[in-house]
Amino acid sequence: MEEKRIGVYICWCGSNIAKMIDVGRIAKETQKFSNVVMARDYKYMCSDPGQETLISDIKKYKLNRIVVAACSPRLHEPTFRKALEQAGMNPYLFQMANIREQDSWVHIDREYATLKALSLIKAAVSRVYHHKPLEKRSVEVNPATLIIGGGISGISAALEIANAGKQVYLVEKSDALGGITARLDLSFPFLESVRQMLKPKIQQVQAHKLIDVFLNPTFEDITGYVGNFKSKIRQNGPEKELLFGNIIVATGLQAFNPEVIPEYGYGKLPDVITSLEMEEMLMRGNVITSNGKEPENIAIIHCVGSRNSKYHPYCSRTCCSTALKYANQLRSMLPDSNIYELYADMRTFGKGCEEFYSDSSRRKILFLMFDQEEGLPNISKAPQNDSSEMIINMHEKLSGEEIEIPADMVILMTAMEAQNDAKDIARLTGISLCSNDFYIEKHPKLDPVATTTDGVYIVGTCQSPKDIVESIAQAKAAAARVLASIAVVNMEVEVTTAHVNEDVCCGCQTCIMVCPYTAIHFDEEKKVSVVNEALCKGCGTCGSTCPTGAIESRHFTDIQILSQIEGLLKSEKESI
Amino acid sequence: MAFEPTIISFLCNWCSYTGADLAGTSRIPYAPNLRTIRIMCSGRIEPTFVLKAFREGADGVLMCGCHPGDCHYHEGNYKCLRRYHLLQKYLQQMGIKKERVRLEWISASEGKQFAALANEFTETIRQLGPCKIKGVMETLT
Repeated sequence: MEEKRIGVYICWCGSNIAKMIDVGRIAKETQKFSNVVMARDYKYMCSDPGQETLISDIKKYKLNRIVVAACSPRLHEPTFRKALEQAGMNPYLFQMANIREQDSWVHIDREYATLKALSLIKAAVSRVYHHKPLEKRSVEVNPATLIIGGGISGISAALEIANAGKQVYLVEKSDALGGITARLDLSFPFLESVRQMLKPKIQQVQAHKLIDVFLNPTFEDITGYVGNFKSKIRQNGPEKELLFGNIIVATGLQAFNPEVIPEYGYGKLPDVITSLEMEEMLMRGNVITSNGKEPENIAIIHCVGSRNSKYHPYCSRTCCSTALKYANQLRSMLPDSNIYELYADMRTFGKGCEEFYSDSSRRKILFLMFDQEEGLPNISKAPQNDSSEMIINMHEKLSGEEIEIPADMVILMTAMEAQNDAKDIARLTGISLCSNDFYIEKHPKLDPVATTTDGVYIVGTCQSPKDIVESIAQAKAAAARVLASIAVVNMEVEVTTAHVNEDVCCGCQTCIMVCPYTAIHFDEEKKVSVVNEALCKGCGTCGSTCPTGAIESRHFTDIQILSQIEGLLKSEKESI
Repeated sequence: MAFEPTIISFLCNWCSYTGADLAGTSRIPYAPNLRTIRIMCSGRIEPTFVLKAFREGADGVLMCGCHPGDCHYHEGNYKCLRRYHLLQKYLQQMGIKKERVRLEWISASEGKQFAALANEFTETIRQLGPCKIKGVMETLT
């Protein structure tokens, strides 16, 4: 048997790890572990010099197992696996110890944090001893793409991919393309018509030979994996089987229902309307109250359901600029009206938007500030004979005064929220939701349109509130990722699948019953179970069910996990 | 010296381990007693792993998976749940209090909940005191 020569690398992550964990002491202690040939600490292991040290050590000291104690393996495991490959090693002869996210960032006692790190490293060393080289497997990528959602994000991604010559299946749950963007009149900050921008795009999609649009279809479970997904779809007529290699989720948002905020009287006071209802009015070209009159006093209330712990904690990001857009449009349409912007904080980020704010403030628009924590403005019906329909009472924050504002029309800038069926789509595509039901990206900075499920991308407002510009940017980014995977033709996939040792298999077929992917079948001749590795996703359920231990869950084998447990507990007693 | 328990936790890669990472990126401090083993799915947790942890000196074992219906592999968490009920019975027969092993669901967005669970479970085990099974086994063999 080959001699195991283990190298251990402890990352400082600048001061992220080093300030809470005594990295020097750990390197010294680790050096004493059996089979450890080399233990070093270094400022940034993921940096080029960090990786170069690793690669040159592998060659110089003939290392054949590597442990890196650093951040979460979810972040840099692929980085270090690549470094191993560059050094001529099999990438699976590697284990990470997570001493940042699950140690230095969550503990406040340096001694405890250091001991915990030592124990995690000991476990990684014990585990990596039993790692085996695994052969890479690649799959052919089906060049078609499924896009779920036919709003501006889905449309943009579809055109990008189809214009590159690849097939797109665009699925939209309503009976028209365009999504919520189709319900907007003008865009900010340049007050251009959204319709003029969107309509040609929709026409291009409808006319494109490589885009199949399915409106209001019934949709079956998606099966398969990156490169080879499968589903069945029905839209007036026979069921059609769809095969595709990648999925883009572009399911968009829904508007917050302001009926739940008692102060605003939405649903009770007829002239309290939402921003989307205002868009409808603007598209029709006449702004009138429920009495059919032009409003003299118009109030626009910001942050309706946003940035409020009772409703949604987050900022919906587009409402401030949209509110300014309304003020500008109304100023032109009703030059003699009084326009009030009731805001909590003005957040007009983005190209040209701060300038838009500053220009708007010179157009006879009155800005009044309120504090959501101290109480929302309260809208009530004005007494009869009053010149206005409604009265808004509010505490104006900057002057410190209680004031009354007359209003004939109130526009509520409602929050963007996740779709009611966000969870269903998450299950369908195997992606996760954040606490606000928006989809979670693979990495918030380094991989913002990918998800933890390979081959599934998220774009537009289903990922978080954003404007049209950002949605289109994400859609095109995801399209680029999809096209890159198609260009590769054969894509490398995880090989941490299950494997049956035929000599030990007793033929009980328990594994076949528990496999969620019907990836195991029974060989009647040999009387043993056989794993179809193309279907196996490596969950390991069969491995923990097998009564004889015939099934090996590659890279998560019994001996690997058991020795990890031993490592965790041994170091504790030995080194304290 | 006051007793500080050692706890082994098995976290599934997709939900619970990600949730624990989120506690880290959100810098939510919690008890340093947990030692985590990452597995792909809670369905991979063999009862043997839990028994091994107690045999090697763990005072408690925490298993976490995705919430029901959210398993990345459809239903691995349900399989884990079934084994958990059996395991609790078995542990009691061996003289290990069933409170020493716990199964909880933690999603990828529940960093706060993970930190709270770590604190609460550590406190439970602290109250129960050290698990003596390792010593007993060593005396016997």
